Amino acid sequence: MQLIIDNISKTYDNGVQALQGISLKIPKGMFGLLGPNGAGKSTLMRTIATLQNADSGHISFNDLDIYKDKNAIRKVLGYLPQQFGVYPKMSAEILLNHLAVLKGITNKKERKEVVHVLLDRTNLYEVRKQNLGGFSGGMKQRFGIAQALLNNPKLLIVDEPTAGLDPKERNRFYNLLSEIAENTIVILSTHIVDDIKELCHQMAIINRGEVILKGKPLDLIEQVQGKVYQKTIDRSEFDTYKNQYQVINETFFMGKPVVQIMNNSNPGNGFEPINAGLEEVYFSQINQSK
Amino acid sequence: MWHEIFKFELKYRMQRPETFVFFGFLLLFSIVGVDFIFQGVETGLVKMNAPMIIAKTMGAITGIFMIMVSMIMGVPVLRDYQYHTEALLFTNPITKWDYLLGRFLGSLTVLVFIFTGLVIGMMIGSQMPWHKEEEMLAFSIFPYIQSFAVVVIPTLFFGAATFFVTGMLSKKMLVVYTQGIVVFVLFLLTKAIKNEYLQGLLDPFSLTTLTQYAKEYSVSELNSLAITFNGILLHNKLLWMVLGIGILSYGYYKFSFSALTKKPKRILNKTVKKSKNYTNTSLLIPNMSIHIDFRSQLIQLYELSKFYILSLVKEASFWAIVLCGMIIIMINSVNLGTVYEVDSYPETHFIIAELQEMSMYFFIIILLFYSGELIWKERNNKQYLLNDATPISDVITLASKFVALQSIYIILMLSLISTGVLFQAFSGYYKFELGVYFSGFFIEIYPFLMLYTFITFFFQVISKNKYLGIFLTLIFFLLTIGLEVFGITHSLLKFGGKPLGTYSVMNGYGHFLKPYVWVKAYWIIFGVIVFVISALLLNRGVAISLPSRIKTISNRITRPIKYTSIALFSVFFMLGSYIFYNINILNTYWTANEQQTFRMEYEKTLKRFEYIPQPKITAVDLNVELYPENRSYEINGTYTLQNTTEEPIHEVHIQKLIASHVSLDTISFQGGAIANTAYQKFEYTIYTLSKPLAPSDSIEMKFTQSFAPKGFEEDHSDTQIVHNGTFFNNSILPTLGYHKKYELRDNDLREEFGLATRTSKAEISDTKELVNSRSGSDSDGILLQVRMGTSKDQTAIAPGNLIKQWKEDERNYFIYQTEQPIINFYAITSAKYEVIQDQWTSTETTIKPVDLEIYYDKNHFYNLDRMMSAMKTSLSYFSKHFSPYQYEQLRIMEFPRYAEFAQSFPGTIPFSEGIGFVLDIDDKTDVDMAFYVTAHEVAHQWFGMQIEAANVQGQNFVLETLSQYAALMVLQQQYPKEKVAQFLALQEELYHEKQRKAISEPSLALVTNEDFVYYHKGALAMYKLQEEVGEESVNLALHRFISDWNTHNGKIRAKTDRYATSQDVLDYFRMVTPKDKQHLIHELFETTKNVNELQ
Repeated sequence: MQLIIDNISKTYDNGVQALQGISLKIPKGMFGLLGPNGAGKSTLMRTIATLQNADSGHISFNDLDIYKDKNAIRKVLGYLPQQFGVYPKMSAEILLNHLAVLKGITNKKERKEVVHVLLDRTNLYEVRKQNLGGFSGGMKQRFGIAQALLNNPKLLIVDEPTAGLDPKERNRFYNLLSEIAENTIVILSTHIVDDIKELCHQMAIINRGEVILKGKPLDLIEQVQGKVYQKTIDRSEFDTYKNQYQVINETFFMGKPVVQIMNNSNPGNGFEPINAGLEEVYFSQINQSK
Repeated sequence: MWHEIFKFELKYRMQRPETFVFFGFLLLFSIVGVDFIFQGVETGLVKMNAPMIIAKTMGAITGIFMIMVSMIMGVPVLRDYQYHTEALLFTNPITKWDYLLGRFLGSLTVLVFIFTGLVIGMMIGSQMPWHKEEEMLAFSIFPYIQSFAVVVIPTLFFGAATFFVTGMLSKKMLVVYTQGIVVFVLFLLTKAIKNEYLQGLLDPFSLTTLTQYAKEYSVSELNSLAITFNGILLHNKLLWMVLGIGILSYGYYKFSFSALTKKPKRILNKTVKKSKNYTNTSLLIPNMSIHIDFRSQLIQLYELSKFYILSLVKEASFWAIVLCGMIIIMINSVNLGTVYEVDSYPETHFIIAELQEMSMYFFIIILLFYSGELIWKERNNKQYLLNDATPISDVITLASKFVALQSIYIILMLSLISTGVLFQAFSGYYKFELGVYFSGFFIEIYPFLMLYTFITFFFQVISKNKYLGIFLTLIFFLLTIGLEVFGITHSLLKFGGKPLGTYSVMNGYGHFLKPYVWVKAYWIIFGVIVFVISALLLNRGVAISLPSRIKTISNRITRPIKYTSIALFSVFFMLGSYIFYNINILNTYWTANEQQTFRMEYEKTLKRFEYIPQPKITAVDLNVELYPENRSYEINGTYTLQNTTEEPIHEVHIQKLIASHVSLDTISFQGGAIANTAYQKFEYTIYTLSKPLAPSDSIEMKFTQSFAPKGFEEDHSDTQIVHNGTFFNNSILPTLGYHKKYELRDNDLREEFGLATRTSKAEISDTKELVNSRSGSDSDGILLQVRMGTSKDQTAIAPGNLIKQWKEDERNYFIYQTEQPIINFYAITSAKYEVIQDQWTSTETTIKPVDLEIYYDKNHFYNLDRMMSAMKTSLSYFSKHFSPYQYEQLRIMEFPRYAEFAQSFPGTIPFSEGIGFVLDIDDKTDVDMAFYVTAHEVAHQWFGMQIEAANVQGQNFVLETLSQYAALMVLQQQYPKEKVAQFLALQEELYHEKQRKAISEPSLALVTNEDFVYYHKGALAMYKLQEEVGEESVNLALHRFISDWNTHNGKIRAKTDRYATSQDVLDYFRMVTPKDKQHLIHELFETTKNVNELQ
């Protein structure tokens, strides 16, 4: 089972090049898509979810060209968009049932069962009779998750799924995701680096519509391990450091600026080596390509 | 500060396309505004750009476009809420006063700007070439500006205030859409108010108000006087303006900034969950199967339709519409089938007609707005991101929305039907004909809605937003009407075809139903094709433009869609061919132009034969075989023709009835004749007799004529020969000589074709017409024998004594024969009749008893006693005072309501089911019109059958006015004085009402076809005469008149070949009038003076 994205490009009417020749091979399991806001993640996910056509390139799922037969992929697709709306005057149960019908679950008994199980798993069972218009952001997001899982998808696309969830809800959701990922392709898009680190076997970093890095998180971390150093500096020194070193990140520690740099060997000058993580990989890529 | 917001609002609106779309639309519409509003309204001498016409048109258009007012005024506050700018706005240091005032005034200014389109459009319209010069005044800008200021601006202000406040307080778009209807409902409600002043005062669009404002105006005043704030108009405008200000103040008081930013409540409590959460994780997502086969698509269609119906019935506005519909039905059903101020029993078809008229507006609102709502729902609430990624077929999505909207119509229909039934029950009418209700809605209205749903769905799918979709549908709607004006009326070209013909209790939908169903089927297939195209173009996913959807349409055409489309196109083509075959090949399809040209050529070619000497028909013997089941007949006839002139006659000119499927199969003359077929085009044949017909000699002419309709026709014109309720007269038979009825009537058209102006009656001194009792009369009286066969469940009736009646071959046969000559104008009816019989015997033993019969439909038994009593009383009165009744029987026969009149023929009175039979007469409040109309028709047995009047000016005075007098005397004898006074008051009202609209008013003595003169003024004048000179004297005069001018043995009539005129009648009146009142005869009958002002 794999999803092959082959050289996908998309330019919007206003001239923005959202995707520029993106190619990825995504196997079973959890795949992380990391990138800053506006990198093209959502465009890519919508394109895979058949909601948008690419200008060029191909996407195939298990050798099935999704442009030739969109409904074939829609049958096995679960999609949680970054932002979505719902019929505000419908109850969660009715609307989930409605979406189950749309997904082709036409057996009434099966439909009822799956709707109830998912309401239960997303903790919405007790509010199932409530209108969605009255739901909080987190509740609505959980509803979104429930609907994405309705058809037991083989390809699950979740776009910034944890936005609006509290930490507890977030953990619960990731538990669910990793359970599902055992025999499903799950594409998780996020700009939160930790999420990927915790969950994904494979990942790609996208910036300005291009894949700038792909691989296994651990391998990627391995590549930068021992090359990242940091130092607490004065605010006024910042420009000097920026010119002198390959600065990948600026953070604060106890209110003081901290710069992180990439260097193949210890640069001295008060820099101390740190234990690199995915975050450093990410920043090294994003800030390099600027 | 408020002016900043005002300026912002203006600037914002001026960038919005809808501002200009509305403006443009209003302007375009207003160009044809006057023609649209006054379409089919007889304005008489009032010019089409008279101030009153301009004001009414403006008022009506403003009313029609209330929705536009709502769309402009309802949104300004709502907009901030919708786009979530409220938080930004309301945290700024502006006050509520500034904010609301700025928004309101800004929007109002834009609104007034948009409505200036109305003024400009109407001014342009007045210059359009289709207005004739004589119906226009010289152009002046002033009445436009003034009407706009006086009539439109206050209405706009009220609308603006109301819609602004409701939009602001409800914060719902749907309220914004629907509130326009509420005002319209208000308008309709005012129509139900009986009190004229109140009705005028409360009319929100000031239409009734304007009518009353100018109630006393003459034509020249209507053409010249400007509309100003005065009288009832001032009161009306003040009322609505004050109401507007009141609503604004209320809104200001109720509105609060913080409330606007507050989220709906209800969120919190239930989100707090118990901590047993994680016990659930063990529940795996169960295995389920995903289907997309045909069967599961049907299940999807069913489930989705249910869902969309649910989403619509959750809208409060829908129930508001249902409720309004129900209220309107209740109000309007109070006066049903009103004839001379008497209401009818609430028979179902009356209620249906009322429902159809009133509910159309609601259905159109639902159609326009809810279709937009359904198509755009997921896009507007952003749920499309979820839905569009599911494997649902576009066809199923669209179809389920279609089904949902159809169900909404049906819910509304069922609610209206139950209201109708409730109303009937409340009125004590327990004959609930559910079948009639269902056919009225589901056969007459529903197909129209369904067809337009296909169209709106299409426009919504291809539009960029909901409003554009609604707008395009409206344009389409107007275009369809427009094309009709340009003569595109063929059922295959006019979208949706034509409405179903009149429903009759006797005949149901009769033969109209078949073509209706075929044409509707044709258009429904067309609609389905449009539907499939819509589904293929349906927007799916993230904003994909229409052109690219069209480009990639082939990706969406799956195998089943391809085959379905091929099948649909084939069926469409086959249905079209079948309809074309029926309308254009089996039948002759005449365009309006072809008809006019034919009539013009008829006149130009044959007019020279109009007064050539022809023999007269003196006896008619008919053998009629009528087949009601297939609406056909065969007639074998014999005419006896006598030469009543002084010279021998060589040629007999025969005009066959010009109508399709009527064929004059054979025609032969005693002694032989040679046919000259030069005028075959006009079905006019000249027979040269082998042996000329010497003066006073007679010959027989035999003919066979048949009628057998084939297929179906475009128009349902022929309502004479029907399945149940056949009613025709002898004008379907061959006639002698040129026939004026085929001439072109419209004088404008006549002028275009170079024909002389046609007057409706010849001058009173026209010697050629003085010898005719009817146009192109070919007889001075006949003896008639009719042998007639009809189907086994029908009774056939013709004038004369029933000589024999028998059954043969499962058919009923009758022979009728007249004992003495009758006028050559007789009717034959055949229907499934019930009959009641009675007898009238005179106090004078020399007069034979008269058999009275009423043949009626089994449902229409209400007023038989009243009609019977009218026949008896009339026969007694007329026999005693005028002359003896001439026949041995008097029959009333009911016929379907394709025409609404009663008409007297010798001894027989065909009487429409639409009048008299179903009147619900309350003797306390109503005049017994069933009684009166019957008495009037019985009077025609004297004035019409005994006396014939010359076919010149004043003919209708002799026939109709004298009958009015006779009936009035019978009414006076049977009922108390107050009833007579009530009747006369109504006559006076009707007289003035019609007089105001009339082009000209002749005196009674010279009246032509002005019914307000010979009916209404006639009744008043004759009553006055009888008050002044005495009933006995008037009766004496009429007695003398009849005995001198009676067609068959009148003392004077026997010595002359001319017929009586109004002048003859007046001579007899003068003879019985004392000297001091002689001037009255002149003033009542020879002037147009107001009867009640005469002394």
